[in-house]
Amino acid sequence: MKTLSRMKLTMPLILLLALPILARAQDARLQLSSLDHLAAKANQTVDVNVDERLMKAAAKLLSDKDADERDVKKLVEGLKGIYVRSFEFDNAGEYTTADMETIRTQVRGPGWTRLVNVISKKEGNVEVYLLFNGEQVGGLAVLYTEEKELTVVNIVGPVDLEKLAKLEGQLGVPELEIEKKKNNEK
Amino acid sequence: MKTMSAIVLALLVFSIPVHAGDDDFKSVVKMIEQFYRVKHQGIPFLAKAGMKVGTTAARIKGGEAKRIAEAGSVKLAVFEDQAFNGDFMKFRTSLNGALNETWMPFVQTISGKSVEQNYIYLRNAGDKYDVLVITIEERDATVVQVTVSAKNLALLLKDPEGTGKSITEGATINDQE
Repeated sequence: MKTLSRMKLTMPLILLLALPILARAQDARLQLSSLDHLAAKANQTVDVNVDERLMKAAAKLLSDKDADERDVKKLVEGLKGIYVRSFEFDNAGEYTTADMETIRTQVRGPGWTRLVNVISKKEGNVEVYLLFNGEQVGGLAVLYTEEKELTVVNIVGPVDLEKLAKLEGQLGVPELEIEKKKNNEK
Repeated sequence: MKTMSAIVLALLVFSIPVHAGDDDFKSVVKMIEQFYRVKHQGIPFLAKAGMKVGTTAARIKGGEAKRIAEAGSVKLAVFEDQAFNGDFMKFRTSLNGALNETWMPFVQTISGKSVEQNYIYLRNAGDKYDVLVITIEERDATVVQVTVSAKNLALLLKDPEGTGKSITEGATINDQE
């Protein structure tokens, strides 16, 4: 009896402790603050934060008349956020594998799948990860690394992969030429 | 006990406008002054001194800034020829901490190991948006707050760096025409 009452007492506590872990498992928003320290070493740092409020505002502002804008609007409408961290360095070796691992650990979590992995000395390495919530894509992460550059793009929400390229150069998303690299991989 | 509650209540009431009101612009200017131990110059002083920013007032009234900003919405603080030496990482953290509650940090760029820092924050203002652009260079800094229409916000979202720059330049660059 004592064990049962103890269980009754401890179960809610265990559930409470486990909830954030379960919630985080399906969260497409990556914690990028572990990269912040690189700003001190970088020659150029770019942080872009487009949260849900701004996303909604952006969707309203895009025209239905222009075909390109219409596509971007459709893409943007369901999204909950776009977050970019980009660092350019003067010398190679300014960021470490450990820095990248802080991000990779997150995209190796439940629900995440690696879609693209291009390793190119000439054009840099590109890894594209998708988070699936059941059948639906719940988010995306792009890791772009070169000797002197590190860029992470995190899109939160249902991403239409076919139209993803249209987001490049918009809303602070850098031109990563994902489509081109994806095709080169085939 | 009643006195204690009253003090707490008063503190809560009086602390709200500091974060939510128009004082954010002033707070940022003050923060830059305290962090870098510099002093900003007001537009009338600059106009009198005949410095390059002296034409700012005229520029704002009829110049490029007006094209982006809504009429009468421009707030400007300029720091000229002063040393901006300090840990830019600490500055960025303090700035984000101070503004995060009401402002959305949109784009932040740091170039050349803090030689140039650019920060763009956005805030909803009814059917318009407040844009706060902070630029800090080695010897100069600018804080500009403008209210923009939804249409001009679209420009900013499309090309954050370019539009951010034109907001600052529109408010400060000498008009030679």
